Amino acid sequence: MTGMRKRNFVAGIILLILSLGYGILTSLLPSRGIENTTEPSFFPWIVTFCLFVLSGALLIQSLWAENSEKLPEIPEIPLTGIVKFIGTFVIYLAALPHLGFIAANTLFFAVLMFFYGERRPHWIILGSVILSVLIFFLFRDVFQIILPAGILERWVS
Amino acid sequence: MNPDIVSGFLQASMASTLLATAVGSFLGLVVGMIPGMTISTGIIIVLPLTFVLPPDISIALLLGLYVSGMTGGSFSAILLNIPGTPSASATAMDGYPMARRGEAGRALGVAVTASFIGGLFSFCCLYFIAPILADIALQFQSQDLFSLVFFGLTIICSFAAKSLIKGLLSAVIGLMIVTIGQDPMVGTARFTFDQVNLISGIHFLTALIGLFAIPQLYDNISELVRGDGRARTKLNISRILPSWADIRSIRLPVSIGAPVGSFLGILPGAGGPIAAFISYDYSRRLSEDGDSFGKGSPRGIAAPEAANNAVTGGALIPMMTLGIPGDPVTAILIGALLVHGLAPGPLLFLERGDFAYGIIFSFFWANIFNIIIAFLGLRLLVKVLTIPKSLLMPTIALLCVIGSYALRNNFFDVYVMFAFGLLGLAMRWLNMPVVPLLLALVLGRPLEEHLRVSLISSQGDVSIFFTSPFSVFFLVLSLISVIWSIQAARKASQAEAA
Repeated sequence: MTGMRKRNFVAGIILLILSLGYGILTSLLPSRGIENTTEPSFFPWIVTFCLFVLSGALLIQSLWAENSEKLPEIPEIPLTGIVKFIGTFVIYLAALPHLGFIAANTLFFAVLMFFYGERRPHWIILGSVILSVLIFFLFRDVFQIILPAGILERWVS
Repeated sequence: MNPDIVSGFLQASMASTLLATAVGSFLGLVVGMIPGMTISTGIIIVLPLTFVLPPDISIALLLGLYVSGMTGGSFSAILLNIPGTPSASATAMDGYPMARRGEAGRALGVAVTASFIGGLFSFCCLYFIAPILADIALQFQSQDLFSLVFFGLTIICSFAAKSLIKGLLSAVIGLMIVTIGQDPMVGTARFTFDQVNLISGIHFLTALIGLFAIPQLYDNISELVRGDGRARTKLNISRILPSWADIRSIRLPVSIGAPVGSFLGILPGAGGPIAAFISYDYSRRLSEDGDSFGKGSPRGIAAPEAANNAVTGGALIPMMTLGIPGDPVTAILIGALLVHGLAPGPLLFLERGDFAYGIIFSFFWANIFNIIIAFLGLRLLVKVLTIPKSLLMPTIALLCVIGSYALRNNFFDVYVMFAFGLLGLAMRWLNMPVVPLLLALVLGRPLEEHLRVSLISSQGDVSIFFTSPFSVFFLVLSLISVIWSIQAARKASQAEAA
């Protein structure tokens, strides 16, 4: 089994497990016992049924049916590139509540600039600091959206 | 004259609203022309700015962006042979050959003019058809509304040409996500895992930002890996205003493109690219010099450009009157209206007629600003194509993070946005379309509500859906939509196999 069929097989298994898990959670939903009305679990049961049937169909299709589906034309990035891309986001999101929007954004911006091909250190420093600070104050002072400044709160407030 | 029309016009013509429309048009032209940036992404980036603005100004800004985004897509298609938006793909076929032989300005001028005429035609359709449709829709009862929303969901099939199963799975995942939060009928918390942030459910726009923006950021990294992401520098543009002879020569393709685009815009799921190619094809067949198409004919630019801009007005008709989005952009516009506590649908015309007409007239102004800004600022605007991605993409990333935070001033929404980004990437890996999930996120809740209200009123009797003429009409349409999509998918796979 290669290519798209393998992907469909993996997805079919995952979605089948998901439908079972969702079904179990649906069965645990409380009943309101109100006469002549539908229960909160009414619609989720329909969704569970559809998800189960369709994941089963995908699984069966990946195993037996003739499948001419081609692999999606997604530009390839080396695995290390994907890990770096996702890893950067995860670290940034974890640091964001602690560092605040200015500090975390500046670091994140600098790393992304490097990812997107910028190699000149002075451009990376200038670009990340100026744009992050500009965006922060634009939202906070012009659009009145309260963005926590974190460790730099004392300096910007 | 209907007083709502007058107040709608005045609302759309206020200085602040006009300014917002003009800014939106400018941003739309910029966003549209950047290859790899879709209009949806552009609107998502701008959305957080609209949270603090009044609803009429917000929607004017977004409409400006929507209309001009379509036109902007043609700029990079003509100058670089890279369509800025999928709808501009057909434009590149004649636009780029014209640019190569030194007629870039003429090609751009024809594109802007045709876009303007197409947009104005669709404004007329919107102005005359939308109120009539809204009047009819006011007679709908819950069972009719269920069947209507169900019909809206069958659009999914047209986005799942490669695999119907995957299209439907994508929609079911969307419906599953919609069930998170309070039950719409009795308020019971469902699948919230005692998490306070989940009680009001997953915010539609948070999901949207992740689904569209994260894969876009990923794509642009991969472009750089392939060495295709460098900024272009040499863009020579001469005379832009089209000559009288050019305007005369594009009469036929524009008169084909404008109605085709408006009609296909009304049909949920058809969208700009299909309208552009159909118009291009018909214009080529009906033109005396059909052979010149594909070799740099102004007519080959005018037909798709009139069509894709006409789609915008057409797509607003079902969105405003029925609350049914025909494409991702109108789905986002529904989300934007909901943020301001306004639900598009027939009641919008009844309860907020001035606002509904305000939207229609803002659409008119968006078309006016589109042509003015495009002609006046074209030489400056195309400089955007030289902005390095190393500045553009991190800026987009920051705006998406701040945008998802700003929805409810909550870091939880930022994490949800990222999770949806990963889901979007996984769906792409699996060749699963994202649009059905998006439509399910918009239509899932009304679908559940109308289904349950109908069943409660009929005491569980499902025949209620087959006794109302409106309901039967929509169910028949749903059936036709599904069969048509399956047939189209079969034909496509047969053609691929051959």
